[in-house]
Amino acid sequence: MSKRWAKVWTIPVMASMLLAGCTGGKDNDSSASGTASAGAEGKPATWVADRKIKGLVFMGTDDYTEDMNPEIKAKIKEMTGVDFEIQIMKADHSIDGLIAGLAANDLPDFIAFYLNNSGRPEMPVVLKAAREGMFTDLTPLLKNTKIYSKYEQEGFLPLDTQYGVMFRPEFNGSTYFVHMNVNRQGGYDTRKYVGGPYIRKDIADALNLDPSTIKTTDQLYELAKKIKDGHFKDSNGKEVYPIGPNYWGGQEIGKLFGDLEWGEVGQFIKQDQSGKVLHESETPYAMKKVEYVQKLLKEKLLQPEFFTMDESRATEGALNGSWAIIGDMHNYLDFNQDMHYVPLGPLNTVDGAFQMQVAFKSGYSAWAIPSSTKKPEEVVKFADFLASREGKLLWRYGLEGRDYTLDADGNPLVKQEVLDLKAKDPNEAKKLGFGGVGNYWGELLGSTDIDYMADFGEMEYGDKLKKSEDQGALKIANYWHWDDKRKAANVVDGYTPNAFLGEFDRGTDLKAAFDNYKDSLVQAYYSKTPEAAQKILDNALKQMQAAGLDDYLKLVADKNNDPKTKVNFN
Amino acid sequence: MMRQKSSVPSENRGSALWKSILQHRYLYFMLLPCIAFFIVFSYIPMGGLLLAFKEYKFNKGILGSPWVGFDYFKTFFNSYQSGQLIKNTLIISAMKLFLYLPFPIILALMFNEVRSKWFKNVSQSVMYLPHFLSWVVVVGLLQRVLAPDNGLLNQLISGMGGDGGTYFMMEPKYFYQIMFGSHLWKSIGWDSIIYMAAISGVNPDMYEAAKIDGAGKLREVWSITLPSITPTIVILFILSLGNILSAGFDQLYLLRTPGNMQLSDILDTYIIRVGLQSGQYGYATAVGMMQGLIGLVLVIVANRISRKVSDTSLW
Repeated sequence: MSKRWAKVWTIPVMASMLLAGCTGGKDNDSSASGTASAGAEGKPATWVADRKIKGLVFMGTDDYTEDMNPEIKAKIKEMTGVDFEIQIMKADHSIDGLIAGLAANDLPDFIAFYLNNSGRPEMPVVLKAAREGMFTDLTPLLKNTKIYSKYEQEGFLPLDTQYGVMFRPEFNGSTYFVHMNVNRQGGYDTRKYVGGPYIRKDIADALNLDPSTIKTTDQLYELAKKIKDGHFKDSNGKEVYPIGPNYWGGQEIGKLFGDLEWGEVGQFIKQDQSGKVLHESETPYAMKKVEYVQKLLKEKLLQPEFFTMDESRATEGALNGSWAIIGDMHNYLDFNQDMHYVPLGPLNTVDGAFQMQVAFKSGYSAWAIPSSTKKPEEVVKFADFLASREGKLLWRYGLEGRDYTLDADGNPLVKQEVLDLKAKDPNEAKKLGFGGVGNYWGELLGSTDIDYMADFGEMEYGDKLKKSEDQGALKIANYWHWDDKRKAANVVDGYTPNAFLGEFDRGTDLKAAFDNYKDSLVQAYYSKTPEAAQKILDNALKQMQAAGLDDYLKLVADKNNDPKTKVNFN
Repeated sequence: MMRQKSSVPSENRGSALWKSILQHRYLYFMLLPCIAFFIVFSYIPMGGLLLAFKEYKFNKGILGSPWVGFDYFKTFFNSYQSGQLIKNTLIISAMKLFLYLPFPIILALMFNEVRSKWFKNVSQSVMYLPHFLSWVVVVGLLQRVLAPDNGLLNQLISGMGGDGGTYFMMEPKYFYQIMFGSHLWKSIGWDSIIYMAAISGVNPDMYEAAKIDGAGKLREVWSITLPSITPTIVILFILSLGNILSAGFDQLYLLRTPGNMQLSDILDTYIIRVGLQSGQYGYATAVGMMQGLIGLVLVIVANRISRKVSDTSLW
């Protein structure tokens, strides 16, 4: 070929290579989805099919892991025949990734996404996709499974999961999503959480204070004044702020202003004693709370950036002891396993004395199978394997012999060296590839029907090896009398008040107006006079009313009257 | 990029052009990837503007989704927020366009007068650096500097006997200063580069002639430098008009607090919040398209005015 012709051909070849590189080569994996499954002869009972199952995850890399351990992958293959692979779609907000992924219409065998309840922003997005026929109807496929068939048993699912997420009346018995992390038993606790405000123990001791005696916001105010007058110092020798923000960054904290908070923070909707459903802005509590916060800010009892501080600074302040009272944290945080902060209160609510509220059951995250997936029953069967005890043992405890041994009861006994490695080098431990060491992949399809105590003889991974003196979290729980409070707890099942925004005709506008109310509330806290604050709140209420607040509250009341859609106002 | 009047007769222009293209064919071949880039990433996506008039269905794609006419535009203009959003966007954009315009020019003129090469290099580098910081970092710095009580500024104020408890980021009256100041700090160095380049192209003979005529430094700047770089200034200004309804998403999204939200909510943040995060692609596209169209009209009008007034224009 002459040099001249070579030159002429070079450019088109380069251009076509460039274009070929730009087109996101359609993954061959999905075609592999359809490969015929091998016969079950001579295969283990856990066998699914000789195929690849690939999932696209619209959740954060902090919560899930796509790098799987090769030995674990080989074990999955050996047990089920499945070559399992997940890919996490990275996006600023997980919902942006979900929307883009659905719009691209190029989905692998299954997708997984956040979905705490049917009120979460992801719900209208996946509902739209389901209505437009993008997902496989899972109802007939769940019937033939060992674990997931429980979802179709009466009373197994919480109300919201059953009627709000999965078996929605509009689908006439079909379901297109599987809600995950549903406990086997109602009111089952995987951890003894003690959340809410905490006070520095040395300060409480110096003031001769029993933190559990603080029950009202008035008492909290008096305590804050005493702290201020005490001129206590943080680890840098600077004077502390009496009340500091949430450990994870500034925001409104319901538990700190319990007796002034109408409904749950972010919802602000509650039923009054006469049974009428009201928004906080329609009650005197909004202005009472504003006046209270303004008083705290004016007297410098509340950190001025309490509602807006970024996470790094809020956490730094907590670690330095700069906040005498941390607005909100919990007992499992590493920095406080020596209990130098102890729980304050709990404060009363607008209904009266505090009572622990325990969800009957709740869900977290969900998965769906695109309608383009071939042999979806194999994906469901594989999910069912991961949700079984054998599956959970694999994704939670790793490999027998390498990561754990079995005790006399057949329960896993974690190897000490694995725990040591996890404590010493968490990143290296994560490479072992299972949930106990922070490598989360199995939870996507397998974390449901949860009862770890019954399945493995311990609530938390490695609990059996942990010495009691190391368990600061449990000490705090005992200090707070968690067991007594749990006995007197109110087990509730129901929808959140905002869960019906998706079906409300002006839902988008009202959601924007609700968000605006939340911001207006903070704006009101920082306004100079009560009159200015009142004006801000009035404007926010007007906007909500213009967006249909009254009709929405009526809808919530109607839903609450229906036993299938009971609303949880607490 | 001056508009030049050609003296070639129109009938010969076509064949002359092809002759020229053929002569420089390898250069044109080298241009192909660039053209492909713009076709693939700029022109083909324009087809997506159809979404502004359609109700997007996941399973039907853009072309198959049903038409909704101007519904999204009506929804936007009927929304109680639209007036406020447009007003905020225009105010912030106008500040960044008009108020900001002289600053990089002045900086470039100042750099041009610095005689010490070492000082010039160091100071230029220092001025460029903020351009490479992301807005997340810049706003993070601002939050720390302007924090109530512990912030640098408040400590300075309290050190001088004032009240060091002002929460600058939360008070609307400080919003424009913070927004404009941070934009200036971040962009001025980088934006001055193009003016520096234009200044360096000014014929030194003119300065010498001016000196002989007895002109001082200020007169040189006023009568030689500024007129020489006016075409550059005009072209850059016309181009930036296209972005008048894009006030800078990153900065405003991060600077927004409940206290200043009445001033800081703009169309870009609205598109993200209501359009994309709620999955309303059509609505988001409609608002985005409106931004683009207004920008395009402004560019065309400004270009026409500029051509009439100064004979400098984009086309």
